[in-house]
Amino acid sequence: MNCEWRQKAVLFADDELGHAEQEEVSAHVSRCAECASTVTGQMELKKAVRIAGHRFTAPAGLRANVLAGIPAKPRRRSLWQWVLVPATLLVLAALAFFLLLPQRHNESLLAELVDQHVTTLASQNPVDVISTDHHTVKPWFQGKLPFSFNLPELAGSQFVLLGGKMVYVEQRPGAELLYEIRKHRISIFIFQSRSDDKPVVRPDHPLAFTVETWKQSGLQFSLVTDVSPDDAHRLKSMFEDANKS
Amino acid sequence: MSGLNSKDFEALALPLLDPLYNFARWLCSDPGEAQDLVQETFAKALKNFASFQQGSNFRAWMFTILRNTFLTSRTGLERRNTTQEDEEEFEDLVAGVENPETILIRRADVELVQEAIAKLPPNFRDVLLLADMEEMRYQEIADVLGVPIGTVMSRLARARKQVRECIVVTLGVKQ
Ligand SMILES: [Zn+2]
Repeated sequence: MNCEWRQKAVLFADDELGHAEQEEVSAHVSRCAECASTVTGQMELKKAVRIAGHRFTAPAGLRANVLAGIPAKPRRRSLWQWVLVPATLLVLAALAFFLLLPQRHNESLLAELVDQHVTTLASQNPVDVISTDHHTVKPWFQGKLPFSFNLPELAGSQFVLLGGKMVYVEQRPGAELLYEIRKHRISIFIFQSRSDDKPVVRPDHPLAFTVETWKQSGLQFSLVTDVSPDDAHRLKSMFEDANKS
Repeated sequence: MSGLNSKDFEALALPLLDPLYNFARWLCSDPGEAQDLVQETFAKALKNFASFQQGSNFRAWMFTILRNTFLTSRTGLERRNTTQEDEEEFEDLVAGVENPETILIRRADVELVQEAIAKLPPNFRDVLLLADMEEMRYQEIADVLGVPIGTVMSRLARARKQVRECIVVTLGVKQ
């Protein structure tokens, strides 16, 4: 268990070799079980650290403070926003109370997603990548998430893509895509599904939002919106078609 | 002189807000302190933006400012006074590779890996997070931390070894 290439296999897994050496080591790794195992082990650990390391998201207040410190780009802050923020917090608190109070813990995911949707609606910067083109939005997530997904073609539908951002729910990184139809917004959340995932359980009482969840191609999709269930279902179907494996 | 203005700064720097804050929280676990640190980083970066060379590595530059600002903070000073890991050099590189546990790593949940990272000596943790979370190159990490590249490599190997061992011990005990 001491192949002389082991050190190079480590550098190979870290993508730290020059092109020629990279190919040379790659060829060796494909023949040497020990080095193959070294590379796999290291890739696995790197992936685990990448996912676990992304643990904290900047609070909204920090973003505002940082922006306030950057001059030359006038930012309009109208009064209604200051009114809206406390109002939103109230809604959030009410929702959290409503959703969490008597429920089992596997409903908390649903509550978090609804919270996240409401926060997005109230946010000054609802998305981090602003584009109506899914060819722009999808690549933005590459390298930021440990998984990939497809976005549906919207031509011929009334849905408009507004953009997307990274979200962390239950310490898992995921994507939030924001869509609009008839002035109403829809959030689609995509996470990697885990084998120990419990099924998302709906609370017994009616929700203020339409929520759809489904699993597909190793991913956990969730949709949160105040549009009609028909429209919600239409977008869900489009996502299902786009992500057929 | 670069022809960059504050609008360019905003476009370059804002996408780094979350990564910088995340790293700041790993540096100083107090959320308030982490927020101050990030705000100070942005203020310093903006002030010195004229000296930033267009085309060079903006992300590494921001992380460097963050790290240096941290080292002058109270927590940073405490840390400088308390951490003195032995710095064995390059030959340690493969120490981080022990293979039969790969299957356990795959089974480890996020919280467990986070715990393992949190337990690392801070100097090792910084290198591991910059390498495997921020996916920086060895040279970038060396620049950010102001240490030789050999030190980066040996700290990284040792950090990985410790995280691996921590996971294996915890999961081994559970079984
Ligand atoms: Zn080998």
